[in-house]
Amino acid sequence: MTTTTSEHRARQEPSPPEQSRLPAVPAWRRRLWPYFLAVPALAVTIFILYPFALSAWYTLLDYAARNTGSVSVVGLSNFQQVLTSATFWTAVRTTLVYAVVTTAVETVLGVGIALLLYRASRIGSVFEKVLILPLMIAPAIAGVLWRLMFNSQFGVLNHVLGLGSFDWLGSSTALFSVILVDVWIFTPFVAILVLAGVRSLPREPFEASAVDGASWFYMFRRLMLPMMWPYILVAVIFRFMDCLKIFDHVYVLTAGGPGTTTTTLQIAAFQNSIVFSNYSLGATYMFLLWALVFITARYLVSVLGKAQRRAAGAED
Amino acid sequence: MAGVVLDGVTKSYGKKRGVADLSLEVGDGEFFVVLGPSGAGKTTTLKAVAGLVELDGGRVAIGGRDMEGVQPYHRRVAMAFESYALYPQKTVSQNLASPLRSGRTGSYSESEQRTRIEAVTTTLGIDHLLERFPRELSNGQRQRVALGRVLVRPADAYLLDEPLSHLDAKLRAAMRAELKQLGSMSSTTSLYVTHDYQEALALGDRVAVLREGRLVQVGTPEDVWERPVDSFVAKALGQPEINLLDAVVDGGELVAAEGAVRVPVPRGAELRAGDRARVGIRPRDLTLVPGDDVVGGAPDRGQAVLADEGARAVRVEGRVRLAERLGRAVELEVDLGGGRHHLIAVDESEAPLAEGDAVRLAVPAARVHVFAHGAPGEDTAAVRPAAPPADGRPAAVAAGPRTTTEDTR
Amino acid sequence: MAAAELMPGQRRFTPAAVGADLLLLVWFVFSLFPLLWLVLLSLKTSAEQTSTYFAFSPTLENFSTVLSDQGTRLTSVNFLSALVSSVLSCGGAVLVSLVIGIPAAYAAGRWRFRGSDDLMFTILSFRFAPELMVIVPLFVIYNQIGLFDTKLGLVWVLQLVTMPLVIWILRSYFEDLPEDLEQAALLDGYTRRRAFVMVALPLVRPGIAAAALLAFIFAWNSYIFPLILTGGTNGTITVAVARYLGGGGQAYYNLTAAAALIGALPPLVLALTIQRYLVRGLSFGAVKS
Repeated sequence: MTTTTSEHRARQEPSPPEQSRLPAVPAWRRRLWPYFLAVPALAVTIFILYPFALSAWYTLLDYAARNTGSVSVVGLSNFQQVLTSATFWTAVRTTLVYAVVTTAVETVLGVGIALLLYRASRIGSVFEKVLILPLMIAPAIAGVLWRLMFNSQFGVLNHVLGLGSFDWLGSSTALFSVILVDVWIFTPFVAILVLAGVRSLPREPFEASAVDGASWFYMFRRLMLPMMWPYILVAVIFRFMDCLKIFDHVYVLTAGGPGTTTTTLQIAAFQNSIVFSNYSLGATYMFLLWALVFITARYLVSVLGKAQRRAAGAED
Repeated sequence: MAGVVLDGVTKSYGKKRGVADLSLEVGDGEFFVVLGPSGAGKTTTLKAVAGLVELDGGRVAIGGRDMEGVQPYHRRVAMAFESYALYPQKTVSQNLASPLRSGRTGSYSESEQRTRIEAVTTTLGIDHLLERFPRELSNGQRQRVALGRVLVRPADAYLLDEPLSHLDAKLRAAMRAELKQLGSMSSTTSLYVTHDYQEALALGDRVAVLREGRLVQVGTPEDVWERPVDSFVAKALGQPEINLLDAVVDGGELVAAEGAVRVPVPRGAELRAGDRARVGIRPRDLTLVPGDDVVGGAPDRGQAVLADEGARAVRVEGRVRLAERLGRAVELEVDLGGGRHHLIAVDESEAPLAEGDAVRLAVPAARVHVFAHGAPGEDTAAVRPAAPPADGRPAAVAAGPRTTTEDTR
Repeated sequence: MAAAELMPGQRRFTPAAVGADLLLLVWFVFSLFPLLWLVLLSLKTSAEQTSTYFAFSPTLENFSTVLSDQGTRLTSVNFLSALVSSVLSCGGAVLVSLVIGIPAAYAAGRWRFRGSDDLMFTILSFRFAPELMVIVPLFVIYNQIGLFDTKLGLVWVLQLVTMPLVIWILRSYFEDLPEDLEQAALLDGYTRRRAFVMVALPLVRPGIAAAALLAFIFAWNSYIFPLILTGGTNGTITVAVARYLGGGGQAYYNLTAAAALIGALPPLVLALTIQRYLVRGLSFGAVKS
């Protein structure tokens, strides 16, 4: 295929007689290299998946502390028992109310705070530094902190707000109160994610429409919101999924009570498996919660994918 | 010292094609340029030689040794990356010392390292930057450091990926001249990748033109410039781009632009009356011809064309639609045959041309390229004679028939 | 920070701007008051803990009480031991996650090998799976093989918290790292491992630090794992703090507040040092700022 060339250039190299071969790595070993790096993580993953699988197996047994000697397979009767029990459905209702209300309130507040912080102001730049403090405290410790404040006799809330001996953790108020604490802890999470998103938006479209004399509200609704949507959705996904399995601060504040008013699914599972030592029943609760989380996750992630594609289009 | 051979090298990235069935032979000590637009597979070619990509098929040999399975660090090749790939956390001198300290390019004492680095940085004019970090350098300086990291070490082959692409025009021209000297100085086999035809023609002992991962033509710079195998190669070389006009064979001539351009059918080409083809004329091959009724070019040059090659010159008349001054030269867009066709010409004759002026242009028939007919935008092969004439020069570029090219009017 | 930039069309000191600042103020009063209150309460003497709100004579005694045997006698919570247990088990968990996670994150960031996405999403799903799903069987297993209430058992189960975080954050850093740099090192004559150590690792060091600190924070803050899988000897700080309010008997609000403050402080300090990387970490690399 070589065409005519200046003679001293294309001099054909005579094949060197039996040169020492360079060290070669066979193809299968080259292909295995990334797997080799991932093997430890894979091992850990398997060791974590093992209890998961075990948990699923438990749902088919009658495994409890009282009959460890004579465990037998009971088929789907755990599911039957759980799905027909009022306790379970109350827990589902509580969990969903908790997750929906919490996520909605935190999203609205978080987006609002992000937008307020995005507007340049001296006070804002100071606040931004301390915004994340509640988020970084352990939710369990936050639960302790709020329990001190909720105390109806000595609590500072009733004193400051002049509410006398208002019972923050009574049967009609407890759910509201644990949601309040969640909002206190996790609104900053939504806010900093959305704030980072807003800051990464291109400024040109806003400048252009400001020149065109568009109102602030119009810019927000038509430009900012569609472009921010993916960031908001990431925050919503994280919050909603975490709320479905909420445990820490709720357990510290109320341990699920009074009665079952704040018994979320994970608290119910905790009571069944750890407090009453009925592992199979607890596992069944968790299995059903896991299914709920899984379905929700798939749905939300597909919504996120669509929003990201649309936002990419909006920025063009 | 070692030549580099690629044999049927194929690599794709998912659905994206890198290179397909690419075969090249680069001679020992040769400065070999790979030219092509972006996405042509140039970088993939280099990375295939370096062993940085897993090939889907084909083989690479360096110095006659098959490189199948040989890791990049055993191949004894050095590469300058388009992105420079300087280690950001290391100073210039540490960057340059890196290949010398790996133990695979030979073993060097501290003082030997220093001597080598000094030698190469002095040559490249970056000896005052040794303690700087890459982020503190200009693009031109980074470029030199990247080249330095290649030259500082012995290697069987140098792989240079668009080493001048991020430089401004002035620096680029200066570096091009320097590179030529460096290349011949070290006389190491070099594969040089670029999208700039001027670099390719100026630097290459030979040039390979790639298109969409496939090899289109290999040859000396003269080969690819004078005898492009198809209209793609012709378009890839030269700025402004070559003029391509659809033509029909009529009475031993290729007639284009409604009769405004008439080119003798090259001797030996299999073109019969009524056949369709394309003629290609490089803008810089066109010269202004003075006349009574047209604005003249420089009389001496025009006369020379008439005197020496008058018999073989193709003449074209038209009207200047657009005259754009590019420094010393003027780029002309000339309407032909009622304005439905046009030619781009470059005039360096300082003639006082204005838009709307009538001009007469001439091009030696020998410099007119003929390609097969094709749809607009489609690339077609050069028309070559069925059997090459005795002197080995393809007829498409050989002197045209000794018929006087008629005036169009 | 872009905070000083005005939004297009925005002016300083309009009624709207003042209103915006007021709204922010409302949030931050709500947000910071509990923390302020925690500090105040932790500085009160036992005599004043329920009798006054804002006017009192501050003392640091509570902190020394909490950290000493005296606090253990009063509240039956061995806080110092919980503190040590938290530091060791969380530190150990992060260390294990880094050693295992860095190569995996590198592999997943550099190569799309078969099953890499499956592995990555399985690891991510640990972050979202209900914890008890793992804990219940582990509770049974740990009791059988003697890992219950041990630091090793805790390090193991905390991988659920730390490993997804480390791997996902670092993968996003490795993906951002241009491949050319390591390839240049290969051609300089370095093996893949040396190229990784020499080139890639130093460049993602900020990412590693951020991921490690964030993983430590989350491990430190986790509650349900130690609550169930530890007993008296290796309980962590969150469990200890919660136990101040748990048992019957006399309530020591001031000691509780001091303990809570000590437990809350390390994450707060760490978080402020990595604030720049926080968004990327909290979103598992999904949002880069």
